Amino acid sequence: MMGNLNILYVEDDPRAAQAVQDLVLADGDRLAWEQTGTGGLQRAGAEQFDVIILDRMLPDIDGLTIVSRLRAAGVGTPVLMLSALGRSENRIEGLEAGVDDYLAKPYEPQELVARLRALHRRAAGAVHGAVIIYGAFECHVKARTAFRSGKHIALSPKEFALFRYFMENAGETVTREMLLRDVWNMNFDPQTNVVDVNIGRLRRKLEDGFAAPALETIWGAGYRLTRGE
Amino acid sequence: MKPARVRARSIFGQLTTASILIAVIAVGVLFAVTTITVQRQTRSSLSATVSTDLAGLIDIYATAGREELLRRVADRQDVVSLEGRRSHYMIADGAGRLLAGDVKHWPELNAARSEEGFVTLGDGTQVYAQGAKLAPNLQLLVAREYDRDRSALAVLSAAFLAVGAAIVGAVAFVAWITARHLARRMDAVNAALGAAADGRAASFPARQRGGDEIDEVAGHGARLLARQAQLLKAYKQVSEHVAHEVRTPLMHLDNRLGTAMQARPEGAGGPIGQSREDIRTILSMLDSLLDIASAESRRGDLAGLAEIDMSALVTSLADLYEGSAEDAGLTFETSIAKNVTMLGERMQITRLLSNLLDNAIKYVPEGGRVRLILRAGPQVTVEDDGPGILRDQRDRIFERFARATAPGDRPGHGLGLALSRAIAERHGLVLRLGDAPRGAQFILEPAP
Repeated sequence: MMGNLNILYVEDDPRAAQAVQDLVLADGDRLAWEQTGTGGLQRAGAEQFDVIILDRMLPDIDGLTIVSRLRAAGVGTPVLMLSALGRSENRIEGLEAGVDDYLAKPYEPQELVARLRALHRRAAGAVHGAVIIYGAFECHVKARTAFRSGKHIALSPKEFALFRYFMENAGETVTREMLLRDVWNMNFDPQTNVVDVNIGRLRRKLEDGFAAPALETIWGAGYRLTRGE
Repeated sequence: MKPARVRARSIFGQLTTASILIAVIAVGVLFAVTTITVQRQTRSSLSATVSTDLAGLIDIYATAGREELLRRVADRQDVVSLEGRRSHYMIADGAGRLLAGDVKHWPELNAARSEEGFVTLGDGTQVYAQGAKLAPNLQLLVAREYDRDRSALAVLSAAFLAVGAAIVGAVAFVAWITARHLARRMDAVNAALGAAADGRAASFPARQRGGDEIDEVAGHGARLLARQAQLLKAYKQVSEHVAHEVRTPLMHLDNRLGTAMQARPEGAGGPIGQSREDIRTILSMLDSLLDIASAESRRGDLAGLAEIDMSALVTSLADLYEGSAEDAGLTFETSIAKNVTMLGERMQITRLLSNLLDNAIKYVPEGGRVRLILRAGPQVTVEDDGPGILRDQRDRIFERFARATAPGDRPGHGLGLALSRAIAERHGLVLRLGDAPRGAQFILEPAP
């Protein structure tokens, strides 16, 4: 999906900043780059952004301090911390400081884009009705039933939860970490194929008897629900 | 901090009790010595007085005869000495019958041997007396009352006891106040050390005037704490910088490889894709090593731990891994107790259990069985009926880079179980191999 996000990126490494800039500009977003923590803090307080990407180890102010100050000042803009410190301990510190998402370098470009979109969607607080329709798919939330082209698809409770999550994020890339967090309530990615296996099982059920694919794999980022038509 | 008090087993309580005991014993000994000395002095004084009087009367008998003696005794009967001691006399015949004097019956004293001592006269008067045989048919008894000496001793005893009780009370009070004050200060030092040991915020009490031993202990504790904090900070800085400095160039390399891949698309398993996978493997290994070091450095540290709903967590994991087990052709069984909670880092415990489940699914061949069990405690068991762990490798599978070389071996960097054990120990748990007859059985439970 083409986006029109207004993004602030606080990063002291010009090469890293350039890579992100190329990536988001290609998607039609706008990016304001600040090379220091002080500059980023001032800009985040003065201007309105959809999402802030924040490096952690900045030369003047630590990224964790920046996000704490922003939250204390009442700035609620979603923050994605993009850091070379990617251990679970570092992630916990980031989330506790108030960041909304944490991505370790090196990252897959598509995953960064997917996460920025997801953060923005979460902040916008999209409300879904009792029936979600996307392309050939229908999700009846209360009845907990799924249909493709009018044909009922029998799903287990967990498969339905997965399907519903894809429907709520229809057309968007959904990362493994988002699925683990929002469907399994887990804040740790085992880095194995457990999520893919579960997606594979859902995919088989959604595609059984249909020629068109239901879920497409976005390499290095996650999955996206197709329109199924 | 617990309120300061003098504990039964506290050294301060023992010191207080000992001080009181020593004061009681000292006062008692002093009282006994004084009483005995006074009694001896009284007896000695009475003996001297009675002996002198007796000698005088014997002289009179020897020089002036019996009649003069009888007359003199009659004269002396009403004399009261300067010390206030009343005199009593008896002159008796050989059978002890009264010839003269105010004592009616001869007391239990042998006149022939000039015996002397404390006796009670027939009318109940208590006296110190001495007898003497003057002639075969004549014996003399001289006695002195000593009731004033006894009264004086009683007054002295009462005064002594009052002062003694006051001294013991004062010692007890001072000892209790001192012990309470010291116990309060030690409690503050103890509380600070306990908090530091548990990883909670700790502050040592301020130095008192003078700076005694407790101040020294507190000072050393504070320095130790500062040093520990400094080491942890230095360790964190170093590990963060290492991670940053290694990750940044690898990220640039990965970006360039990503760009190259876009320019020259390749199929799965192509050289560029493999290179990017290798970058991730290196980073994953680096992170695992740093995670192990971090978990080991925080062993027993309760800071940052929160209550985890283990029943919910294990259920989520079972839910997540069920599909993988089925796809691998395994039977996946669970037995999850309800309402099991523990204090921990949710992400780390998830990681530990994921690792055990990953291993089980990776090593058990098709057709096998994997069981995940949660019991109160908490105790988590992941067991399978796969090839198991060779006996000679049971001790080393939890070491870094120690991959099992069992049948069904799979690639990996051999840090998973080392990290799992470090995470367990950081939470006060143990991760050990059980003694299941078949397959591998990993048990996570509270340390004994």
